[in-house]
Amino acid sequence: MNSTTLSPPTQPPGLLRKLANILSILLGSRTAVTGLAVVLFWLGIGLLSLVWTPHPPNAQAFDANLPPTSTNWMGTDHLGRDIWSRVMAGTQVVLLKTRLSTDPQVVVPGGVALWGVIGAVVVGGLLGVNAGYRGGRVDQAIMQLLDALIAFPVIVLYLVIVTALGSGDVVVVLAITITGAPGVARLVRGLTLDIKTREYIRAAETRGESANYIMLREILPNARGPILVDAMLRVGYAIFAIGTLGFLGLGLPPPDPDWGSMVNDARKYIYANPIAILWPALAIATLVIGVNLFADGLREELTRYQQ
Amino acid sequence: MARFLVRNLVSMGTTMLLVSALLFLLLEVAGGDITVRLLGVFASPEQRDSLRRQLGLDAPAWQRYLDWLVGSDWRARPLSAYPLVTTPNPQSGEAEWWAEVAGVLTRWRLVDGELTAIQRAADGTESTAPAQTVWQRAPDGSEIFWGVDIRNNLVQWQRGSDLEVLVLSEAGVRSERGGPQHYIPLRKGIVRGDAGMSLQSNRPVSATIFSRAANSLILAGAAFLLVMPLALFCGVLAGVHEGRPLDRIISITGLGFTATPEFVIGIFLILIFGIWLRWLPATAVFLTGDAILRDPKILVLPILTLMAAEFGYVARITRASMAEVMQTPYIRTAFLKGLPRQRVIFRHALRNALLAPVTVIMLQINWLIGGVIVVEVLFGIPGLGSYIYDAAIFGDFNAVAAAAMLTVSIAVLTRLAGDLLYLYLNPRIRFA
Repeated sequence: MNSTTLSPPTQPPGLLRKLANILSILLGSRTAVTGLAVVLFWLGIGLLSLVWTPHPPNAQAFDANLPPTSTNWMGTDHLGRDIWSRVMAGTQVVLLKTRLSTDPQVVVPGGVALWGVIGAVVVGGLLGVNAGYRGGRVDQAIMQLLDALIAFPVIVLYLVIVTALGSGDVVVVLAITITGAPGVARLVRGLTLDIKTREYIRAAETRGESANYIMLREILPNARGPILVDAMLRVGYAIFAIGTLGFLGLGLPPPDPDWGSMVNDARKYIYANPIAILWPALAIATLVIGVNLFADGLREELTRYQQ
Repeated sequence: MARFLVRNLVSMGTTMLLVSALLFLLLEVAGGDITVRLLGVFASPEQRDSLRRQLGLDAPAWQRYLDWLVGSDWRARPLSAYPLVTTPNPQSGEAEWWAEVAGVLTRWRLVDGELTAIQRAADGTESTAPAQTVWQRAPDGSEIFWGVDIRNNLVQWQRGSDLEVLVLSEAGVRSERGGPQHYIPLRKGIVRGDAGMSLQSNRPVSATIFSRAANSLILAGAAFLLVMPLALFCGVLAGVHEGRPLDRIISITGLGFTATPEFVIGIFLILIFGIWLRWLPATAVFLTGDAILRDPKILVLPILTLMAAEFGYVARITRASMAEVMQTPYIRTAFLKGLPRQRVIFRHALRNALLAPVTVIMLQINWLIGGVIVVEVLFGIPGLGSYIYDAAIFGDFNAVAAAAMLTVSIAVLTRLAGDLLYLYLNPRIRFA
C-alpha cells in the first residue's frame, strides 16, 4: 500500500480524492474485494430481475416439482413456478424494494434489510449519543432499557414482535430496527465517551452551542467510520434474519418471492424434489457471506489504516 | 467481591423486571385477537366478549401485568369468604385452586341455573351437593357470592342475574344464564413459579414447559460440549499459524459457518445425510417422551447443525485472541530465551489466549438459544424453542411470556456466570 496517498491530508480532501482513498483501501483487501464481487453480483441480478426474468416469477406456468431442465434452469417449485426466476426476483425484497402496503401496491426503493439497518442506526445512534454525551441519569436509564432488550434472544424478540404486529415488510423492518438498535447504541455511546473529551467539543461548548448541535453536528460525524462498518455487518445480520423469519413462516408476505419462504415451502416437498431447496438456501448463504466478507475486509483495512 | 455480586444481582433484577414489562407490553398489542383464535372467526361479538371476561382480559392492563407477575391471589383472597388453597389434581398432578369450606375443599358450578358445590374428600373423590352459600348483600342491593369455579377462577356470582355467559366447552359454545358476573383467574404469578394457563392446551404452562426445556438442554448441551474443544483447538491452531494457509482454511471455514443461517446448514445436512445417503433420519420423531435416550440417532443432524453454527464464532474469537497474545513481548521473550515452541504455546500463551473466548462464549448464549429455536423447528424436536414458536404462532401469550422469560433468565444467569468466571480466570482483576 502506498503510504503517501494514505497520509492524513493537510487540507480537506475533495470528493474525488476521498473516493479514490476509499477505493484504494477497499482494493487493498482481497477479502473485501471478494465480498464486494458477491454483493455486486446479487445486486446486478436484482436489478436485472426488475426488467427481465426468464419466466414471470409468480406465474404457475409449469408442472410442479420439476427437476432442472433447459427451460427451467433450477426446476420448478411446488406450484409450478420457475425457481431461477423466483430466486432472481427474491433479491428485490432484500436489497431493492420495500412494500409499504400490498393493496394497493406502494413500494419504496431500498430493500427491507437496508431500511431495517438504517432504522437501527438512526434509533441506536440517537440513543447512544444521548447516553454518552448527557451521561448521568439519562445514560443510566437508556442503558438499562437497552440491557433489557439485549437480554432477549434475538429470535425470541422477532417472534414476539411479529406475533404482536403481524407479518409484512414494515414489521420486518421494525423488528430489525428494534433488535439492532441496542448494539448500535452501545457502540455509539462508547465512541461518544471518547470524542466527548476532545478539544473541539470543548470549543463548541465554549461557543455556547446547544447540546443537540454538539451531538448531531460535532460528535456523530466524527464517529461515522466505525458506525458505517458496523452498519455493513448489520446488513449481513439483517439478510440472515429475513431468511430465518421467512423460514419460520413469519417473513415477507406472498406471493412475491422471498428466499426464506422459498426454503420453507421447498422443505415440505423435500422428498419429491430435493434439489429445489438448494437454490434459495445457497442464495441466502452466498449473499450473507458476501456482505460479511466485505464488511470484515473493510474493517481490517480501516483499523490498519488508522494505526 | 461481595459488592460486585450484589451490584450485579441488583442490575440483573432490574433488567428482568424491565424485560417482563417490555414483554407484557409487546404481547398486550398482540393479545386482542386471542378470542378469535379460540372461538373461530365465525364467533359473534357477544361470544368473544364473554370469553374475554372469562379469561380476565376485561381487567385493566396494569392489573393483568401485576397478576401475571406476582399473582392474583393477593387481591382474590379478601373477596372470598373462604380461604383459597391450591392442591394437586389426583390424576394429572397439576395444581388446582379450591376454597376450603369448614375443612372441605369446595368449588362451585352452575347446573341448570342452580349453584352447586363440588366437594373433594381427602381420598380425592368428588361429590356434588346443593350449594349452602351465604349470599352477601352488595351496595347496589343485589345478592352476590365469590367462589372458585372449575376452571381455577374466582367468580362473582349474582343471584337472579340475567347476564348471559357463553362457556366454551368441548362440545362447542354453551350459553348459561343467571350467574357469573366477574372472573379473576387465580394464579400465583411468574415470580412464584406459576405462569398461568396455556390457552392452547388449557393446561398450566409450568406443567409442560420444563420437560420441553429438558429436551432443549440435552440438544444444546451436547452440541456445546462437542463443539467447544474442537473450536478452541482450531482457533488456537489458526492463531499460532496466523496468515499461513492453515489459518486461511480455518478462518474461511469459520466465517462460512457463522455467516450461513442455521436452517441453511441444517437443510444441507438433511439433503446429504437424510435424503441422498439415507444414513440418518431427516426429522426427529418423538414416539415417547424419552426418545432422545432410546434413539440417539435422531439427534445427530440437529447437533451437527448447532455445532456448525457455533464453531465459526468460537474459532474466530479464539484465533484473534491467540494471534494477539502471540504478538506480545512476553511471548517474544520466551522464544528469545530459547524455550521450545510447544512449551511457549502451551505454558505461556494458551492461558491468556483462552481468557477472551471463555467469557465471550458465555455472552453469546442468546445467540445459541436462537439457533436452538431454528433447529428445533427444522427437525421437529419438541423442545423449548419449538414450544415458544408454536405458542407465538397461536398467540398463546401466557406460554410465550413464560418461555421468553425462561430464555431471558437463562441468558442473564449465564452472563453473570461469565463475569464470575472471568474474575476467577483473570488474576489481574481483584476486588478489594
